[in-house]
Amino acid sequence: MRMPEVLANATEAIIAKWLIAEGESFTDGQAIAEVETEKALVEVPGEGDGVLGRYLAKEGSHVQVGAPIAVLTTQGEGAAEIEKAIAEAGVSLAPAAPEPTPAPAAATTAAPAPVVAATPTPAAAPTPSASLHGTRLFLSPLARRLAKESGLDPALIQGTGPDGRIVRRDVQAAIAKGGVAPAKAAAPALPNIPAGSFTDIPHSGMRKAIARRLTESKSSVPHFYLSAPVLADDFLNFRKKYNDWAPKKVSVTDLILKTVAAAFSDVPAANCIWTDTAVRQFADVDVSVAVATDNGLLTPVVRGINHLNLEQLGAVTEDLIARARAGRLKQNEIEGGSFSVTNLGMYGTDEFSAILNPPQSAILAVGAAKQKPVVIDGEIKVASVINFTLSVDHRAIDGALAAEWLAAFVKRFENPFWLAI
Amino acid sequence: MSIHTPLHPSEPWVELTTTAEDWAKADPQLLETMLGQLHLIRAFEEVVLELAGEGLVHGPAHSSVGQEGGAVGSIIGLGTHDAINGSHRGHHQFLAKVINHVSGQKLDVTNLVTPALQEVLQRTLAEILGLAQGYCRGRGGSMHLQNFEAGALGTNAIVGGGVPLGAGNAWAQKKSGTDNITVSYFGDGAVNIGSVLETMNLAAAWKLPFCFFIENNLYAVSTHVSEVTAEPRLSARALGFGFPSWKVDGMDPLAVHLAMKEAEEYMRSGKGPALIEAEVYRYFHQNGAFPGSAFGYRSKEEEASWRARDPLLRVANEMIALGLIDQAGVDSVREQALAANRKAAAELTEPNPDAAGKRRIRPSLWPDTSFVNVGVRGDASELKSARTLEPLTSSAPKVQMKFVDAVAGVLDRAMENDPRIVVLGEDIHRLNGGTNGATKGLSKKYPDRILGTPISENAFAGVGGGLALDGRYRPVVEFMYPDFMWVAADQVFNQIGKARHMFGGDNPVPLVLRTKVAMGSGYGSQHLMDPAGIFVTSPGWRIVAASTPAEYIGLMNAALALQDPVLVLEHVDLYQDMGDVLEGDFDYQIEFGKANVRRTGNDVTVLTYLSMVKHSITAVEQTGIDAEVIDLRWLDRASFDWSTVEASIKKTNNVLIVEQGAQGTSYGGWLADEIQRRYFDWLDQPVQRVTGGEASPSISKVLERAAIAGVEEIVAGLDRVKAGFGGAQ
Repeated sequence: MRMPEVLANATEAIIAKWLIAEGESFTDGQAIAEVETEKALVEVPGEGDGVLGRYLAKEGSHVQVGAPIAVLTTQGEGAAEIEKAIAEAGVSLAPAAPEPTPAPAAATTAAPAPVVAATPTPAAAPTPSASLHGTRLFLSPLARRLAKESGLDPALIQGTGPDGRIVRRDVQAAIAKGGVAPAKAAAPALPNIPAGSFTDIPHSGMRKAIARRLTESKSSVPHFYLSAPVLADDFLNFRKKYNDWAPKKVSVTDLILKTVAAAFSDVPAANCIWTDTAVRQFADVDVSVAVATDNGLLTPVVRGINHLNLEQLGAVTEDLIARARAGRLKQNEIEGGSFSVTNLGMYGTDEFSAILNPPQSAILAVGAAKQKPVVIDGEIKVASVINFTLSVDHRAIDGALAAEWLAAFVKRFENPFWLAI
Repeated sequence: MSIHTPLHPSEPWVELTTTAEDWAKADPQLLETMLGQLHLIRAFEEVVLELAGEGLVHGPAHSSVGQEGGAVGSIIGLGTHDAINGSHRGHHQFLAKVINHVSGQKLDVTNLVTPALQEVLQRTLAEILGLAQGYCRGRGGSMHLQNFEAGALGTNAIVGGGVPLGAGNAWAQKKSGTDNITVSYFGDGAVNIGSVLETMNLAAAWKLPFCFFIENNLYAVSTHVSEVTAEPRLSARALGFGFPSWKVDGMDPLAVHLAMKEAEEYMRSGKGPALIEAEVYRYFHQNGAFPGSAFGYRSKEEEASWRARDPLLRVANEMIALGLIDQAGVDSVREQALAANRKAAAELTEPNPDAAGKRRIRPSLWPDTSFVNVGVRGDASELKSARTLEPLTSSAPKVQMKFVDAVAGVLDRAMENDPRIVVLGEDIHRLNGGTNGATKGLSKKYPDRILGTPISENAFAGVGGGLALDGRYRPVVEFMYPDFMWVAADQVFNQIGKARHMFGGDNPVPLVLRTKVAMGSGYGSQHLMDPAGIFVTSPGWRIVAASTPAEYIGLMNAALALQDPVLVLEHVDLYQDMGDVLEGDFDYQIEFGKANVRRTGNDVTVLTYLSMVKHSITAVEQTGIDAEVIDLRWLDRASFDWSTVEASIKKTNNVLIVEQGAQGTSYGGWLADEIQRRYFDWLDQPVQRVTGGEASPSISKVLERAAIAGVEEIVAGLDRVKAGFGGAQ
């Protein structure tokens, strides 16, 4: 098994955690390791059933993409086969060398039978597991065992014991409800700023990636900005009425995403990105949503919004946001798209300008809905207003095209009746 | 002017010195045996010091070189059924007693070392080296030498610690109608310690055939006897206790022998104990092969003056003068003794392959490390054929009985059935059954087996220990309050608890220690502890605690039948409780290691004992929580009912340990630790506990109540458990 190329152009990744012990067997699709890329923790599944013969990289070690990380065997194979596989892969015999050298290309193409060259399978079913990442869950020892035996993911169980500990009755309640209790609403983490002192928090891979990619974006992509104060009363009323009526509520962000998609159908030329050789034009609308997590910014991509109705869209975004916060996004879910939406309105931010998320060509910054005096038909009235600021990559999109798109967006936003169609 | 009438000690105090006539009158065979023993012991000690110098003796080697005269002179006249014990410096006494035993008190200096004697030397040396073939399988080493067959009860590393045990042995000798005696050896350093002085008083009060033998070598390690007492004539100690005392020159073995003969006559005739102080001199420092002068606390001149009076020289020269031996004969004794001891060492060592010219212990002779915990206590197989029953659920006819009457009743029945049972304690023979009536009626029925003791817990606990080690009697010791165990801590924990294991694991210590937890009685900080937590963490002890009269009967019978020391816990709160007991049946036992589920339930396992059982049941009823209440009954880790507790925890997944007393010495600590390690994956919350406060309970009624746990605290504990269930339904 080799280190998969989990992020485009990445040269290395970190083995965050082995999920299968040496000598332990695994089934098709079961996660074998967690790999930390610059953007996320990714679970790497095996292909087919097998046994984890030997680790070739320690937890915490940086491994070149394509370098062997473990020897996988089939049932019944033993040390001899493992040694043979290692020898044939040309790996140093030190089993836990911190920086395994990449295997020669020849060995990669002529991988011996026990070595399964695995890449993450996007469609791999999520595997319930008691191993926890990102946020720490508190479970009683019994609850941990019961959840494991019932195949329940403890992260999806509501804890009602002391300090939110998940206890036996919580697991039993989850089982009674068919296995999944409503996910706990993760409280937004508040930054802890002790007065007069500081703590150096070592950079995580994700933090480094955010710093590198945004610096690159801001310094190499020619940004320009368009902003528009938009009357929001009809839009917000629509949402209220919709939520009063619909079994599944939608968020402001969901409705904005839907509106973005509609604006792209009005102005399809704006749905594009800059590449070195061409401007790439997209048929479907894939939009990233910025999600703040404990560890930094994540931008899962909501795909094919133009094909989703409001209910479907709500389910997709809820799932993506929850998994982003739990550190459980798959790599393919954070790649692609031509456009981002970032909403700081819930923080009361009036307006702000966002930095582009390469290689996307635009990002829409959403401010807070606030009541303001506005002049309508010569009269001063009080209305809810949201400031939208669009950041645009001038290489792919000129000012006029961007303005055309924004006008389409504003029109759709201020006249939301089409949403009901 | 007041009238002053001189008073005199009730018993004589003399110094005995030999004359030429004494030597001339002495049996030549006695002198020959004396010379042989002295040389065997001296050569033995020299070989031990050689081995110690090579680093082959692990721990200290307390040499007796220079002091042989006291041991040989006093032991040479003793029979096998006379007994001795001693202190950390005890090789010489042990060897003298065992040599006496295997040689029939006679040595032939022309053929000094018989095969039996060679074996004694080798096994003693092996014990000192910590090897499996030693008398205590290597467990005891230099400071714990025991050979019951030879009447060597065991040497002791606690200064004065063996003396109370020796008195217990003397009690058994007297009670069983023999004229045997016990001699307890200790040094000048032990003269001022409580164990010794308490035992002097008790042995004299009870007229025990017991000899306090002081080997006064003038130095307690480096401290001179004159620095630590205003009466350095240590033989004077006996006078205050009313028994006779002899002072004698320990460098003159015949003088020691003659003094011992006189003392023996006194003791064997039933008059009581005697004291002999033999002035001796340890040529070397406390341990090792360097003289004391090397450490600066005495002079080379002083050492030379004592060496000039060497007991080996003295006996040899007197015998030469009497024409009993010539110098060549004496030299031959020395050579034979040295050769025999070197041979013993050679059997146990071999050339060290890693260091040329050095020896090492033969690796095959070490004890197997799997032996490390064997014999901490017995295996309880003695209870296998016992008649056991569960009195609370038995369908046999029942009558109501007060708890305290059940205590007296079962003791009465047991004493009737088993004449070996002896009860010792303060005031147990008076006040119609002691302070609480637990021995009601017994002193009238068994006047010579209900022993009201002086207030000296260390001495009478030790007497109980000595009785238990001897085996002819089954002591039941009562501590009026549990906190008094600290006064007797050496005997209870260092001696009684460890004796079986320390001396090799075979010799049982059947002793019952009764005491009553008295929280709530207003006796304050120094009377109101629950000792279970201390006993459960002390090796060797078993613990039983009954919450009902009928179970007390069964548990006491099991405790009396066990071959181990057993703490039987009682509680003043329970004494006046009425309960159903089986009519006319005081003979059953509660099954060994069996807890009692007093209330079945599904939500939490409450583990408790003694008076807290009834309080727990009350608390459970008040809260309405579906708790399973288990009366543990057998509290120590070797008797604990894990199968009942395990089944309950796997059912309820929650545990509350309930006890009454202070946190620090509490019982539940070890139990919580065991439970979380055994059942971690079965627990739905931390093991919860109810205990008293940090402080010992005070006299003030409200402060006492605040310091201990009762129904309200158990209710609070159950509420904590309930909070741990979480809010899901």
